[in-house]
Amino acid sequence: MESAITGPGALTGVAGRLAGRPLEEWNAAYAKVENYFHALRIRNKALLGQLVLRVLERAMKRAPAEPDHSATHLAAEEMDRTVTEWFAEVLQEPPTNADQMLSTRGRLALLLADMPGKWQDQFLRPPPWPEEFVSAMRETYLRAGPDFQLSKMSARPFDLGPITTLTNLGRVPYLKMSLAWTLFVLFLIAIFYFTH
Amino acid sequence: MPGAAPQSVPASDQSPPLVTSPLPRVHRGWRVFIFYSSALLLTGLVSMLFADLLWRTGWSASRTILFVVFVILFLLIAVGCMHGVFGFVLRAFGDPRRITQTDYRNQSMAGTSTAIVFPIYNENIVRVYEGLRATYESLEKTGQLEHFDFFILSDSTDPDKWVEEERCWYELIRELDALGRIYYRRRTDNEGRKSGNVRDFLNTWGRRYRYFLVCDADSVMRGGTLVDLVKLMEAHPTVGLIQTVPALVNAESLFGRIQQFSNRLYAPLFIAGLNYWALNLGNYWGHNAIIRTEPFMQFCDLPQLPGHKPFGGQILSHDFVEAALLSRANWEVWLAYDLEGSYEEVPQGMIENAQRERRWCQGNLQHGLVLFAKGLRGVNRLHLLLGICGYLAGPLWLVFLLTFNWIHWYQKYTGLSNITVHAFTPYLNLSGIAHAFLVFVICMAVLFLPKVLALIDLAFDWERRRAFGGLARATVGVVGETVFSTLHAPLLMLWHTRFVVTNLFGVSVGWSQQKRGSDGTTWWFAIRRHWGHTVIGLVWGAFMWQLNQYLFWWFTPVFSGMVLSIPLSVWTSRRSLGARARKLGLFLTPEETKPPVELVSLRSQMKIHEITDDTTPRRPHAGLAEAVLDPYVNAIHVSLLREKRLNPVYAEQLNKLGVGRETVRVLGERLLAEGPAQLAPADRTLIMTDAHAMVWLHQQTWLRPGESLAPWWRTAIQEYSHRD
Repeated sequence: MESAITGPGALTGVAGRLAGRPLEEWNAAYAKVENYFHALRIRNKALLGQLVLRVLERAMKRAPAEPDHSATHLAAEEMDRTVTEWFAEVLQEPPTNADQMLSTRGRLALLLADMPGKWQDQFLRPPPWPEEFVSAMRETYLRAGPDFQLSKMSARPFDLGPITTLTNLGRVPYLKMSLAWTLFVLFLIAIFYFTH
Repeated sequence: MPGAAPQSVPASDQSPPLVTSPLPRVHRGWRVFIFYSSALLLTGLVSMLFADLLWRTGWSASRTILFVVFVILFLLIAVGCMHGVFGFVLRAFGDPRRITQTDYRNQSMAGTSTAIVFPIYNENIVRVYEGLRATYESLEKTGQLEHFDFFILSDSTDPDKWVEEERCWYELIRELDALGRIYYRRRTDNEGRKSGNVRDFLNTWGRRYRYFLVCDADSVMRGGTLVDLVKLMEAHPTVGLIQTVPALVNAESLFGRIQQFSNRLYAPLFIAGLNYWALNLGNYWGHNAIIRTEPFMQFCDLPQLPGHKPFGGQILSHDFVEAALLSRANWEVWLAYDLEGSYEEVPQGMIENAQRERRWCQGNLQHGLVLFAKGLRGVNRLHLLLGICGYLAGPLWLVFLLTFNWIHWYQKYTGLSNITVHAFTPYLNLSGIAHAFLVFVICMAVLFLPKVLALIDLAFDWERRRAFGGLARATVGVVGETVFSTLHAPLLMLWHTRFVVTNLFGVSVGWSQQKRGSDGTTWWFAIRRHWGHTVIGLVWGAFMWQLNQYLFWWFTPVFSGMVLSIPLSVWTSRRSLGARARKLGLFLTPEETKPPVELVSLRSQMKIHEITDDTTPRRPHAGLAEAVLDPYVNAIHVSLLREKRLNPVYAEQLNKLGVGRETVRVLGERLLAEGPAQLAPADRTLIMTDAHAMVWLHQQTWLRPGESLAPWWRTAIQEYSHRD
């Protein structure tokens, strides 16, 4: 594969610029892509650098035609596209722009196949992939529970007996006020009784 | 259950096996009569003695109150004492009326399916999952794992906890290779709290399982015990529920160790006594119990109680009522009190213990409404009544003491002399003081007799005696526990009184979460919680000193507990003191002297977490940041949300919340531009409940230039990109 960085037309010839953009812009773009791959637990630095460069190459190819977009923006878009396309290829599911669920499924598959632990070298690599890796990616699903067997519990009649009558008393008008007065009278009677 | 067959449940492929063992025939009526008559007889005799004492100094209205309260309180301690006495006798001579007595060990497990469910609510997730791991590994060793599934049923409302639960769940299933064996589900609403959580599980998956076993967040179960429980259920198709008696374990503070020591030493007697009269109408304590799914689903959906909170509405302490409902439908409920390998933990300090008591108090008082429900069995009413009385005893004791003080104050105030007349027991020839002392001694004997019996029981069991560190150490432990509980009891009296009164008036007692220091309750927190107790103790003590210096000394245990409440609370919560007591061989329990494998595994895992886990306080909304930014946590979170949609009930709940609407995307934009602090908690939760919004946020946070994101996001991204 011809590198955009080293290939013809990659360097504009202007000092301090790369693919028509200042070097600082590409530095920021590099950091952005590297951060995401780091979050994906790509810990091997050589591999990490290689993957970042691959994404930047794609961004640099677009850069001259899209002067309104920053290098970081282009790199981020290419990173997303590269990863999603690779997921589509590995999982054999066509990518759709409307639904980002392929990306989710892909990340989940990476986790379940233990890509960070066992298959870092396979990440974003073109086919063919080891059979074990492919089957681990395609066949594992995360499930919150077994198949639903839906039913509906419903309370049986429950007669509280005399308590129902008592709770119905709560609907009597001025009950609380009457109770408060009764308590007051009982209190007075108690004081009288205990002091005589 | 003589003459009554369990009410049938719809036929299903989960039909019980044909090979069954007959349960012992029960004659519960006589047992209840003998048990409670003994308590009543004792109460009657002592009450007569007390009434005579009151009569000798002149009967009055206040003495009537004192007498009535005395009778109630004495009856309660007599019932407690009888549990100890009957339990002691049964343990000494053997109890043929217990569910484990039958031959069940050869029962086949083929075709059985059991769900072990852990309902959780904003818990310490590391501890919950390590308890689950210990149970899982223990079950794996039995070779019967294939008959069980585990469910973590989350009701957590804290987004940080939610995300942590999901992440730790994945780590757990990966480490145990338990994908498809341990499941995680979080509800979108908390309707019905714990009982609603379990009901939701039953409505979703219940019919897949013949049995389910409810665990608490701090439960650990031995694999062999789980297998035994299933076999017991298989052997007895008329049994609806078997409750194990969880041993209190893993306490490190002095308070916790004292509690677990008394639990391990006394509980076998008390529960054997309880089983004597309850038999197949036993009780359910909400966890560490196996339940037959079909009858539970048919008969145990809880009704809403009429009226307003705190008594009306949802039944809080659902377990007693569920057991009563099962029994009402003629399903047997047993206590498998001699089945070891069932564990739970205990609060580490007096304040935490009181917080738990507060919840239980409200729930138990609510049972007053259920007590007279039609169709309930008499024995279940007794369970409910004893639960209520456990909390009413506190205020009643306070009334007793206050009335006693009032009588003495009134006598002093009016200048009346304390002339005693002859007792109706002239044969004893007692002076007034000796008479009072006799009543006091009897009360103390009734209170302490079960402790003495527990020690005698221990003395005759060589293996158990060794497990408690020897008889001498156990005896010193009992003395220490008695001194502590004497000081603790007045505080429980004040706490229970407060809880009961506030509940009766419908006032919720708001308690903030305790800020624990590295070695227990902090002094400042103890002062905030106990200053009232201290003041009451000092004022009451001064009053008694003024009133009668002789009486003052009799009341010293009551004041001491109150006056010393702050240091008592702080010191007993200390792990260092707990460790020192352990070094001295005090309050040892069988699980400390010979720890079972499950607990060793749990403790070592917790130790590893203690050493390796990052203890730096997480910044606000760390869970949200993790769920959005971490590519894997986001994928787990989203896939769990998507799976919810497959359940029409959950899908409807999500729609009601507004998930999938354009407003969520607008909230998402605000979240990115302004940061999470600017959104209401409900809005943050709504976003986190929307799978599409979470995928979109993940993409946007990593694609958008930093300048277009809130500073909070930029910091979070930096953290995630440099995390190892």
